[in-house]
Amino acid sequence: MSSVIPRRLLGGRVIGRPSLYTSYKQDMSFFDTLPKLFGVLAIVLVAAYLPMTLEDNLLKLLGTGFVLAVGAIGLNLVTGYAGQVSLGHAFFVGVGAYTAAVLAGDPDGRYLGLGITFAPLWILAAGVAAAVCGAVVAPLATRLRGLYLAIVTLGLVFIGEYFFGEWTELSGGANVGRDAAEPVLFGNDLTRDGAYTSEQKLYWFFLAVLVIFAVIARNLARSRVGRAFAAVRDRDIAAGVMGVNLAKYKLTAFTISSFYAGVAGSLLFAANGHFSPEQFNLLMSVQFIAMVLIGGAATISGSIMGAMLIALLPRITGELPGLVGFISSSAIEHPNIFEVEQILYGVLIIAFLIFEPRGLFGIWLRVRTYWKSFPFSY
Amino acid sequence: MKTTARRVGIALTAASLVLTGCGRDDDEPGGTESVPGVTSEPCPEAVDQEKGCIYLGTITDLTGVFKGVGVPLTEGQKAFWAKVNADGGIGDYEVDVTKFTKDNQYNPDTHATVFAEIKDEILALGQSLGTAHTNTILEQVQDDSILTLPASLGSNWIFEDGVIEVGTNYCAEAMNSVDAAVDGGAKSVAAVHFPGDYGDDAMVGARIAAEANDLKFTDIPTAPGQEAQGAAVTALLKAKPDVVIVSTGPIEMAAIVGGAAAQGFTGKFIGSIPSWNAAVLESPAGPAIAGLYRQATSFGTWDSDTPGHEAMREAAAAAKQVPNDWYMIGWAGGYIMKAALEAAIEDDNLTREGLVEAAAALTGVDGEGMLPEGSGNYAGDPNERVVRATSLNKVDDKTSSKVSVDTEAFTGPTAEGYDFQEPCYLQK
Repeated sequence: MSSVIPRRLLGGRVIGRPSLYTSYKQDMSFFDTLPKLFGVLAIVLVAAYLPMTLEDNLLKLLGTGFVLAVGAIGLNLVTGYAGQVSLGHAFFVGVGAYTAAVLAGDPDGRYLGLGITFAPLWILAAGVAAAVCGAVVAPLATRLRGLYLAIVTLGLVFIGEYFFGEWTELSGGANVGRDAAEPVLFGNDLTRDGAYTSEQKLYWFFLAVLVIFAVIARNLARSRVGRAFAAVRDRDIAAGVMGVNLAKYKLTAFTISSFYAGVAGSLLFAANGHFSPEQFNLLMSVQFIAMVLIGGAATISGSIMGAMLIALLPRITGELPGLVGFISSSAIEHPNIFEVEQILYGVLIIAFLIFEPRGLFGIWLRVRTYWKSFPFSY
Repeated sequence: MKTTARRVGIALTAASLVLTGCGRDDDEPGGTESVPGVTSEPCPEAVDQEKGCIYLGTITDLTGVFKGVGVPLTEGQKAFWAKVNADGGIGDYEVDVTKFTKDNQYNPDTHATVFAEIKDEILALGQSLGTAHTNTILEQVQDDSILTLPASLGSNWIFEDGVIEVGTNYCAEAMNSVDAAVDGGAKSVAAVHFPGDYGDDAMVGARIAAEANDLKFTDIPTAPGQEAQGAAVTALLKAKPDVVIVSTGPIEMAAIVGGAAAQGFTGKFIGSIPSWNAAVLESPAGPAIAGLYRQATSFGTWDSDTPGHEAMREAAAAAKQVPNDWYMIGWAGGYIMKAALEAAIEDDNLTREGLVEAAAALTGVDGEGMLPEGSGNYAGDPNERVVRATSLNKVDDKTSSKVSVDTEAFTGPTAEGYDFQEPCYLQK
């Protein structure tokens, strides 16, 4: 068997014993087991094929989920891996969204715009602008931790809401908003229907962006930086004693996390094309925290699963009440489906944290263990 | 036990995903015919099973901060179409506005998401609540020729194709309010307003009229929330205007009028439609409001003596609906959509494109007395299209809606001569 698969790919692996590591290199590698390698490839291939089979409105939700996943990975890096609670994620998402909108905006339009339409450029610039803001905030994290840090980062959201709401040349003002950056790749405007619908094109684009940023994050997490993050999270004093430079790594964590948030922000409104400043509120920060917790803290795949679930949740909760006969669909009767939809959203989050504290990643772990020991699982 | 519950949970989630995720369908969905939202099958709650069905979408706020607007508006709209259907429908069709009702939670993103869910199933949007919200889907509805009736009285809609706005916008209304105040001898005016499309629109209108009449003008922005009005009251007491144009919610209006009056302020207040709710009379500010406040509107009062209001009151009484401005506006908006649908059927072109064309050719709509003068002229340019009439209501305990007409519908000189070049709220 081992002669069929090139030795380079196997890296000393023993077929049939995926958990048996024969070298340190294998333990540290990007895909430490073959099933993982093939599994991820299969998932990416299936995901890439989905636009050919699913309806556009579902693709739009999934695409939004991919963008949210980029943001959730960012938050997971700082909160899950490095243990720095941040409630300010919405602020960084906002910085990214506005940077992109300004760069790609119409120079002759009503609002600030520079007319740089090449998407990768404004995506990266949005990340950089958010990262700079993150770097400015990071020194606070070296002075504070836990709840105190949470409250300080919470303050960022309010400062951001004020700035975004009042600076009308930038944002269009509260309840009015401005157009978002339109992703144009090599002359192909992804928000216009062509050979493929805009939902299909955006889905593929967002999927590609997610894969790139997930790979980078996974690499970061398994490197020296990732191990330093974990050390800081588990006990920062002990990490300091071991020679981990706390200030440096907290700064790194915040900067990278904000970069991810900025990238997510630049793309989050591309599908809708319009956004207004009150969207970058505490609720958005809380949703990102929910994605990390529901998905599984300190896992990249968990962040993605969590983001997908949060993105699909309104749709799921919207359909469920319709299956139950006694809930009215009229808004003047109680309980009605619209109320139940909102309650279900909360109930699902609570239920998850009680029954599955390790998040969706935990479910996956259990499913894996079950089949690994099949048929002797109990 | 634990595992069973978990398995059930996972099974339910999986089932719901399967149920929601139907396959990709590239041919026109939404019925047996090629026009989305038009079927030869009867409506789900059809009066006459022989008639086909036209589906109109509704995206409104049913659980968010503006559910006080969205819920009655949707009920009024529903009642209007129920009556149309009971009276024989439109042509060979009845109209359904309930099947595709979605909650936007007053969030533009949610608005766009739920729009994507229903857009292939509807002929037109009978209600799209919120300015930023409707703007989020505007490009799509225009691209797909989905005629849209915005539940939003901003002055931006007169510049948009494929949109049929209803009533006088906040900007023209505030101009009329200031002109009326000038007739009453006012020398100075202030605008207390929310930020954004609603409050800024009214503020700019008031400012334009103040400049035209050479009045001293004070701009006092304020935030939502009863407790946040202290600063606005202080600013009012400092500026001491003769008349205050209020464009906030009812709670804020009560806090401002009550707070200012308690400190000896005697100027008059004129509020935009959303600033009024009869419940404020029960608050401690009630007497002050009864004495100082008037409501500017273009839809008459609940007790207005017109065939339209009469029919609406009948329907509302049957549904045990208490008098409500938004219910009335929901009903009134129905006339416009009905006129567009009838015109499209008359042109024998009941398609999305046909409906948009028919609406764009309308030069006026008979609202049985419920629509302000000049309504429904979508054929004209923005300045012909805009509705400029306003009436002022005063608090009146003897009527069912607690207001009665103080100044009959009029168009002041400022609004009459104003040249609308761009949305007012953008000129703040």
